[in-house]
Order: sequence, then C-alpha cells, then structure tokens
Amino acid sequence: MNAPAAEQVDDDLWSAIGDPTRRRMLDLLLSEGEGTATTLSRRLPVTRQAVAKHLVVLDRAGLVRGRPAGREKRYQVDDAQLARAVAQLSSVGAAWDARLQRIKRIAETVQRTRRDPKHTQDQQD
Amino acid sequence: MEFGTIQREIYVEAAPEVVFEVVSSPEHVTEWWPDEARYEAVPGSTGEIVFGERDAGGTVMGFTVVDARPPRTFSFRWTHPVGETAVEGNSLLVTFELTPSGGGTLLKMTESGFREMGWEAAVLEEQYKEHISGWDLHLPRLAPHAETLAAGS
Repeated sequence: MNAPAAEQVDDDLWSAIGDPTRRRMLDLLLSEGEGTATTLSRRLPVTRQAVAKHLVVLDRAGLVRGRPAGREKRYQVDDAQLARAVAQLSSVGAAWDARLQRIKRIAETVQRTRRDPKHTQDQQD
Repeated sequence: MEFGTIQREIYVEAAPEVVFEVVSSPEHVTEWWPDEARYEAVPGSTGEIVFGERDAGGTVMGFTVVDARPPRTFSFRWTHPVGETAVEGNSLLVTFELTPSGGGTLLKMTESGFREMGWEAAVLEEQYKEHISGWDLHLPRLAPHAETLAAGS
C-alpha cells in the first residue's frame, strides 16, 4: 500500500502559504529577487509592521531566509522549501488518482466474479 | 488550481452496490489505501487507519465515519489524532458519491478541509487574480524541481 507521506500536511508550511498577503509577498520576492519589510510594504496594502510579522511566519516555515541589512533584514525565497510546498499540494491529487484507479480495478473484479457464476447458470438453463 | 478542495471522478464498470462496498468496507479499503483499517462503515463510527506496521514506525491516524448511505454516499474524516474528535480544523473530509450510469457507476471523490487546516485556496476570489498570475508564472519554473522532490519522498 502507498505510504501516507504525500498526505502528511506540514501544518506550518500550509498555514504560512495559506494567507493571501503572504502569498503576495512570496510573489513579490520571487519576481524581485529579494526585499525588506519596508520595500514589500510599499507594494502591498498593509503596514510595514504587518509585513514584518508575515515575514517572521514565512521565515519560521522555512519559505524565506533573511540576512541583516542595516536596521532591517533582507529576505529572499527559499526555492527548495517552496518547491516542497508545491510538491505536497500536487502529490495529494496524484495520490487520489492512484487510489481511484485501484478502487476501479477492485470493484470491476468483484463485479465480474459475481456475474460469472450467474452467466454460467444462464447458459446451462 | 483549487487547493482548498480536491475533486476527482472516475467511471467504474460495476454496480453502485459493489463500488460502495469497495470504498467503504475496511476489508476493501486496505486493498486500495492503508495497510490496516479498523472502523465500522456506519455513521459516527470512530476508528483508525494504519500506514506501515503499527509497531514498527507505522503511522496511525484517526478515522471517523461521517455518513454512510448505501449505495449512494460514503464520507469520513481522517488525519486527526486517534482518540480526538474529528472536527473541521483537525481533519480532512473525504466524500464518495456514487451515481448509477450506464451499466456501471460514476464515482465522485471530494477531499476538503485543507483550507480549514490552514490552507486558503490559492485561487477563487477575483481580487487575487494578480496573485494567481504570479503563481502561474513561477510554477513552471518550480515544477521540474518539485517532481524531483516528490520522486524522492
């Protein structure tokens, strides 16, 4: 049977990526390469303080990495961790595809074994 | 891409009664999913499913039957810790809907609860259009890497 690895949703990762503002931030960081709470807040309808808090959440989930830059931190996306999040999401769907194929095969086999004795009998009649 | 809910449909050349048994009975469920399944296929039944070997590092998860109306609907919650009540927020809800079609059954599977578990659909609302185009732009770049990671997991 298949392992549940694909299913084991990493709570931190998913909740980090689950917030629309944080996803906007990831997009901005991806397209611009890097950013600080100040530069990101200029592009978003939220305060610098709010952006800073979101960055902490993203950092904790490993989705961004920051390095000191003056009084602030300069952040960039951790490609490997983001890819991991994307892989988790798409693998959940793929896992169900495989399960449904097995359900189909099993049900059709059961159906055939139930039909066949009857068919044999019909022919004898 | 709707990440809050996963939906799949498959046509099965078997009667709804047969398909219902396969998606609901613990004996059959272990043929297509976990290695072990303990529950009764009746509404409210709580049990568990085990991936791998229970005593050798396997994963044991809660499994609670929500609805069982043969041969049309079977739904359950899973991923909550064993012994905890399954509710929105600690578990995923899987619903199988069976519809007679031709000589067989159209089986529809929906899994939801990702949003409640922290995942807000990356899509949906109009105001996120701009954001979506961003993801679409970046996903192709990530895809090859993601596949490598998925293959290794």
